[in-house]
Amino acid sequence: MIELSGVTLTLPSLAGPVEILRGIDLAVGAAESVALLGPSGSGKTSLLMVVAGLERATSGGIAVAGVDFAGKSEDALARLRRDAIGIVFQDFHLVPTMTALENVAVPLELAGRRDAFERAAAALGAVGLGHRLEHYPGQLSGGEQQRTALARALVVRPKLLLADEPTGNLDGATGEQVIDLLFSLAAEAGSTLLLITHDPALARRCRRQVRMADGRIVADSHSSARAAAAG
Amino acid sequence: MDLALAWRFTRRELRGGFKGFRVFLAALALGVAALATVGTVSADLLASLDRDARALLGGEAELRLFNRAFLAEERNWLEANSRRLSETAEMRAMARAGNGERRLVELKAVDTAYPLYGALELAPPTGGADALAEIDGRFGAAVESDLLERLGIAVGEEIRIGEQSFVVRATIAREPDRTASAFTFGPRVLIALDSLAGTGLDGPGSLVYRHVRVDLPEGESLAAWRERLDRAFPEAGWRVAGLDRAAPGVERFIRQVRLFMSLVGLTALLVGGVGVANGVAAHLESRRDTIATLKCLGASGGLVARIYFLQVLALATIGIAIGLAVGAAAPVLVAPFLSEAFNLDLGGAPALFPLLLAGLMGLLTAALFAFRPLARAQRLSAAGLFRGHLEQRRQRLPGWLWPAVIAAALLLAFLAIATHHDRLFAAGFVGGAVLVLAAFRLAATGVMGLAKRIPRPRRTTWRLALANLHRPGTPTPSVVISLGLGLTVLAAVALIQANISRQVLQEIPAEAPTFYFIDLQNEQVDRYDALVRAHPGVTDMNRVPMLRGRITAINGKSPEQLAIPPQVSWIFNSDRGLTWSRAQPEGVTLSGGEWWPADYAGPPLVSLDQELGQALGLKLGDTITVNVYGRDVTAAIASFRPIEWAELRINFVMIFSPGLLEGAPASHIATVRVDDANASALERQVTDAFPNVSAIRVADALSGFAELLDSIAAAVGGTGSVTVLAGLIVLAGAVAAGERRRRYDAVVLKVLGATRSLLLGSLALGFALLGLATAAIAAVLGSIAAAVILELVMEQEFTLLPGPLLWTLAAGLAVTLLFGLAGTVRALGARAAPLLRNE
Repeated sequence: MIELSGVTLTLPSLAGPVEILRGIDLAVGAAESVALLGPSGSGKTSLLMVVAGLERATSGGIAVAGVDFAGKSEDALARLRRDAIGIVFQDFHLVPTMTALENVAVPLELAGRRDAFERAAAALGAVGLGHRLEHYPGQLSGGEQQRTALARALVVRPKLLLADEPTGNLDGATGEQVIDLLFSLAAEAGSTLLLITHDPALARRCRRQVRMADGRIVADSHSSARAAAAG
Repeated sequence: MDLALAWRFTRRELRGGFKGFRVFLAALALGVAALATVGTVSADLLASLDRDARALLGGEAELRLFNRAFLAEERNWLEANSRRLSETAEMRAMARAGNGERRLVELKAVDTAYPLYGALELAPPTGGADALAEIDGRFGAAVESDLLERLGIAVGEEIRIGEQSFVVRATIAREPDRTASAFTFGPRVLIALDSLAGTGLDGPGSLVYRHVRVDLPEGESLAAWRERLDRAFPEAGWRVAGLDRAAPGVERFIRQVRLFMSLVGLTALLVGGVGVANGVAAHLESRRDTIATLKCLGASGGLVARIYFLQVLALATIGIAIGLAVGAAAPVLVAPFLSEAFNLDLGGAPALFPLLLAGLMGLLTAALFAFRPLARAQRLSAAGLFRGHLEQRRQRLPGWLWPAVIAAALLLAFLAIATHHDRLFAAGFVGGAVLVLAAFRLAATGVMGLAKRIPRPRRTTWRLALANLHRPGTPTPSVVISLGLGLTVLAAVALIQANISRQVLQEIPAEAPTFYFIDLQNEQVDRYDALVRAHPGVTDMNRVPMLRGRITAINGKSPEQLAIPPQVSWIFNSDRGLTWSRAQPEGVTLSGGEWWPADYAGPPLVSLDQELGQALGLKLGDTITVNVYGRDVTAAIASFRPIEWAELRINFVMIFSPGLLEGAPASHIATVRVDDANASALERQVTDAFPNVSAIRVADALSGFAELLDSIAAAVGGTGSVTVLAGLIVLAGAVAAGERRRRYDAVVLKVLGATRSLLLGSLALGFALLGLATAAIAAVLGSIAAAVILELVMEQEFTLLPGPLLWTLAAGLAVTLLFGLAGTVRALGARAAPLLRNE
């Protein structure tokens, strides 16, 4: 589902170019769930953005859901996100002037689906917000907002679900509800999950853990498991 | 499909309401309102000129004769060749009351058929013929109420005009054929045409205009009728006007004022455009998260640009609608004032075209100024969502931006230029506005660069103030552009106004005569000379014979065959004063050729205005043909003279050699300079001794002229202040946009130990520096604009007057300080805790 080979990312800054990613090789299979761990500034979020096509890698090869990013325009990558990638943010990022229903319908509308609103309503029902369809984000609690964002990310049944600390802004109990939902819905949709977290317990719920530091992958449970199996 | 989708998202965006768009709406509405108002009001004026053309002209065609009455055969022909006609005569005269008070008046003698169109409204209401008729051996007069005040008499009392007494039977409420003239020498007096002979004012050579207004024969065009008229009387020398030239002076005036005011309105719109740009940028800034979210969800940059472009269009439509509503209502609101001033029936339905034009220009302006922030939104990176801070990398703007900006700008310029009759002036104005706009943008960059480069001052107040001018997100560019354009217009208008009133009111009177005496007859001149010479206090006197004549050919070519430059076309438009002189008059210098010898008796020669000669490319020896009393006389050019009309001396375009005009019936025109103490006594003596002579007091005429200039200046200043107002709105918006940041800065600085006085001082100093810099640049650009307009367009001398410039500087300083600090006091009072917790 994700094929990264020798991916580097260097961004200009006032103090000179900064190497954010320094040669990432990563392969993630379909329906796999991967937790991305590491200290602040290790490059987790940048890696997620590169995978989402929101940030262009400086060098290296990237393919997501069978689409090679090389030579793809910004709009082509936007279409890829629309059709195959769902994203959940720590800060939810719902559009404040749209109702919950409209927020969830956006990706379907962008894809030109006639049944956008029916499917969006069903998706909100699935996260337990069937009674909140016409509420604006400002009228929803934090947990409800994140459940809405989850419904929005999964409503197109994306091949790949990216999540950046999805419970970082929620209290423990609410966070757990959201995580339960996230895993069950991703499993139901057959989505591959790439999840950034600082929470070791949450990371353990993923089948595979990848640890980053200083722009490199320093540990990968999958390869160590393979190494163990081989050895 | 894509557009429908964009519109669906736009509608959801608009749920956020108009908060944050107040400046956008106000700036756009104001600019559109200014343009639309100028358009609809001037269209209303022009339409009513057209509608009232018959009343203004007094008939379907008008013949005007100067200096002679209509001959019997001419009247007979006109009576036979019209459905009806009316004859009037107009001149200047002195009206004297029994108490010895006197006043120069505009006398108009009318026949019983007058007016053919419209109604003469008198108070108390009486028929015109009844009020003026001879009753019990006494003729009546109707006068403007102003005259009664000046003479200290009431309706029912008598006035004397020339040798004839009149009972004032009514005051004039409305004279249907009176067109707004730039200025008049005195109040109107209406008398019956039958009574004119008794006044003795229509003597030979007197300055009398005679008009015959006719209704053309059924089904005959003016051109056909005129052809027959010209065949019957080829040499009559009258001027014929049709309905298309009912009030050419007024029409020209309205068109000129419209040109100027709509261009100033356009400037206001451009200033408003800066507000549009700021508003759109601020809004898009506040929608960064939404835009980025949409992009994460798969929206293309193009779709994002379309969503927000539609939003801008929707909001612009509201702003434009407000402006157009004002423009549509304006004719009704100003109708009572303008109807009075122009003697027209105003207040028709608002014209559609000016509204459409103003709307279109508003839309183009909104688009023009919204393109750049929209292009940025299209390129906004969605990656910022993950980082929670601003994306500082510069994005390459999309390729459509500059073609779209250039197309909108060109279309706007085209509309501004193509819809005006004086395209050169309009083009010059548009070019100038663009240059000024660019100059201020450059100046803003300069100010920021300078603030950055100045060595860091040791005083904290100064250091913070300078830093505020150049750091990221500073309002410097917005303030400099929005305030700068307005102040430039203000400075230019103030300078033009001050220069003109200085020339009219201060420079001229020092050399000008106290009185003009007109209509002196040949047999009166000796007595007149003796009387004035003997009068105490007279320091200078001058008298010349005067005839009227029209230039009918130059080197044998009629004016229609000549290419006449506009600056001298007035010389050909109507009769000109002519004179003759044996000796070279005092104060006259020649710029070419020689004066004829005192005993010259050869073929006719003429000394010509140098400007006319240059404009037509004439040289010594070329010939000019003038029609005087129906007779064409041709003279060769013997010399050229520079003429300073502003000196108010007796001046003539043409001075002829002796032998040609002495025989023609001429009147004399005289000037006298007399000290103030003896002026009234001299006026009384001259007008008592010669009842047919009119005295024009130069000071009165000039103060009338000054009043006219003042009212024009007030109108121009009023329009100019619309630009300033637009600038203030934009300025307020720009300052308010920075308030959040200032508040945060203030909190952080307070946490670090800064006192409130230090913060206030640094902010005040920053705004003061900005205001002064902007005003200084505006003063320079305004002076250049004023110099160009005065010297090139108005052909007046330009002097750099410090007064208006100091005012500009003071206004710039005051306004930036006021607006800047108003938004700052709140920032200083902000509590630290909530802000810090949120961050």
